[in-house]
Amino acid sequence: MALSDYLIFSAILFSISVAGIFLNRKNVIIILMSIELMLLAVNTNFIAFSYYLGDVAGQVFVFFILTVAAAEAAIGLAILIVLFRNKRTIDVEELDSLNG
Amino acid sequence: MSFEIPDVMPALPEIFILSMACIILVVDLFLSKTSRGASYMLSQATLIIAVLITVATFSEASVLSFSDTFVRDGIADVLKIAVYIATFMVFLYAKDYLKDRGLFKGEFYTLGLFAVLGMMILISAHNFLTIYLGLELLSLSLYAMVALHRDSIQASEAAMKYFVLGAIASGMLLYGMSMIYGITGSLDLAVISANAANVSDNIVLIFGIVFLLIGVAFKLGAVPFHMWVPDVYQGAPTAVTIFIGSAPKLAAFAMLMRLLMDGLGSVSAQWQDILILLVLLSLAVGNIVAIAQVNIKRMLAYSTISHIGFLMLGVVAGTEEGVSASMFYAITYTLMSLGGFAMIILLSRKGFEAEKLADFKGLNQRSPWYAFLMLILMFSMAGVPPFLGFWAKLSVLSAVISVDLVWLAVASVIFSIIGAFYYLRVIKIMYFDKAESSEPIHCSKDMSLLISVNAFAVLLIGLFPGGLLSLCLNVVSAS
Amino acid sequence: MNPEINIAQYITYVFAAFSLASALMVITAKNPVQAALALVLTFFLSAGIWLTLEAEFLAITLVLVYVGAVMVLFLFVVMMLDINMAQLRAGFIRYLPIGLLVAVLLAVLLIMVVGPAHFGLEQFAAPTRHAADYSNVRELGRVMYTVYVYPFEIASVILLVAIIAAIALTLRRRPDTKRQDPTQQIAVKRADRMRVVDMKAEAKK
Repeated sequence: MALSDYLIFSAILFSISVAGIFLNRKNVIIILMSIELMLLAVNTNFIAFSYYLGDVAGQVFVFFILTVAAAEAAIGLAILIVLFRNKRTIDVEELDSLNG
Repeated sequence: MSFEIPDVMPALPEIFILSMACIILVVDLFLSKTSRGASYMLSQATLIIAVLITVATFSEASVLSFSDTFVRDGIADVLKIAVYIATFMVFLYAKDYLKDRGLFKGEFYTLGLFAVLGMMILISAHNFLTIYLGLELLSLSLYAMVALHRDSIQASEAAMKYFVLGAIASGMLLYGMSMIYGITGSLDLAVISANAANVSDNIVLIFGIVFLLIGVAFKLGAVPFHMWVPDVYQGAPTAVTIFIGSAPKLAAFAMLMRLLMDGLGSVSAQWQDILILLVLLSLAVGNIVAIAQVNIKRMLAYSTISHIGFLMLGVVAGTEEGVSASMFYAITYTLMSLGGFAMIILLSRKGFEAEKLADFKGLNQRSPWYAFLMLILMFSMAGVPPFLGFWAKLSVLSAVISVDLVWLAVASVIFSIIGAFYYLRVIKIMYFDKAESSEPIHCSKDMSLLISVNAFAVLLIGLFPGGLLSLCLNVVSAS
Repeated sequence: MNPEINIAQYITYVFAAFSLASALMVITAKNPVQAALALVLTFFLSAGIWLTLEAEFLAITLVLVYVGAVMVLFLFVVMMLDINMAQLRAGFIRYLPIGLLVAVLLAVLLIMVVGPAHFGLEQFAAPTRHAADYSNVRELGRVMYTVYVYPFEIASVILLVAIIAAIALTLRRRPDTKRQDPTQQIAVKRADRMRVVDMKAEAKK
């Protein structure tokens, strides 16, 4: 296996997550899941580099990304619940009381 | 494997802030609603003591610790002191606003102190890992603070937008970091800088830098990644907006400087053009769109975007002079923006938010003193000499001209002249329009005092800018 | 080529293909529960790929933390909120062309940069695999508490902030719920509950 195989895999995963954010503009839950996909792509990148460079630092970085992403998901879902209690919807496009 | 026990002394301010944040968190649980002021007093005392600790251990020499993941130099010390002072002012300005709206809770102060800790970590970062973690600590605290007003639809919408765009930005930043790690083989900024110069595969490096800059631009609020700034500024409770709009800009400058100068300084030719593009777009959109705003919080948000453009201008130059000019700009902008948002808090009262430009109509008739203070702040933001903002813009521009980017300096001046229009419009409204409301302006003595000190600091440092300017230049050239 | 390595290679390709397919399901699913389950599958398969890169500890952590905790949290929230899916999917078709265009362009661009031309076997030779007694956990643990002790502490603070934020944002004291207060129950006096009424006996007529 060449390093490029792994990198191409995470590049496609990254593109899929960007597409997910584009396509599901109205649905915050799917957007949050797309962000998790994006972080998965990044993590795979780091692990692949770490393996091919023979350097453990990349794996350490992934460990911290996993930790932070879990914290981020908790806060994101908490904000989502607050929003839902106020608006009874999670439709981002209906978030129009702030006009841009 | 060799390992040295790290020297924790350079991180003393961080350790102190963390301990105090945890103590306040616990103490607050045992406080009744009426004695909530104790959390406030403790937080303010923490910030004051942190200033004393940092000043007492100040040194211009750069010290690395914790296996080179942490750096303490003169730049870090000066920026940290500015962060403490800015946060102290935010807490003071916010106190009455929070009390009036039932938001006077311990969480505001603990999350605020954790955000301060995040900024300190970001300012002292010397590794991709610490940059990322500091940034996340700061951002997560800010997301939660925006949503803290739980019953407000606007605040929760703003928090959601802020969160989603912030999380996407983190993803982009990390993708860029992973590419740069792959090609340079290290996470340490100094090693990256050394290795990046010898990278043969320039395309991959540029590619990593592009993703890195997209992430940074999102966090800074630079155009075209600025969409969240006006919405968050408007939707968040003003007590939180004043926080987001002030101290984190110092940390944002530090992040930009650490990443681009410390980490990628050896390949500045690769990122300079991208940064110039961001600068020009930010200046153009920030200054032109601000004219169309009727909401003063949105107007100040676009003004932030244009100031961010100026702030990046010094880093574009890439010289010591440029970085110190940017640092001076970040500090002065923080001071001005604190004053500007404090005026909004001042004019608001229970059940009424002074968010519209029209709310400033005839301020001179209602209170000549406050109108005068606002006049100083607006002149300074517009960059009228001899106020502080003028010197900040001048030093950044002279740094740009000294690296032969005269056209960029000229473009920046043109945009800032366009921008001066909307600052001056506020002054016109205050002095020449009839007041719509004759409601007396109530505010506590400490706030009234601080806002006067704030505005006069803008005036006085503007008259004698030499001290702060040379301090910035000294610490930048020493590190 | 060693046949054993060949098999590992095929397994990796299969994992990658299924992983990408389930990632596509995440973003196109009609129902957030389906999306969450597809994401679980993506994580499982990616953990498999991480195993082929000798990141055993992280592969297990991905399953434990992500599948075990984060995705369960997602599912809880999906079930808790009463979401009108038809309304949320309304823009999907409208954004489909532009979304596809952006994704394909981005993917092509990314693959051109990270492709074999820059990261092939010539530039990065495949490292020799570690012996069977090599411990990835030991390797990570050794640096985690020494070299990376400062980031480790910061990560703990981030988790603390997440706890504070989640509680501060969602904990509600609802005034309409009735609850018991044991201290009040114990402290109650006879006089609070019982009233001795002094009245004359009444005879039946």
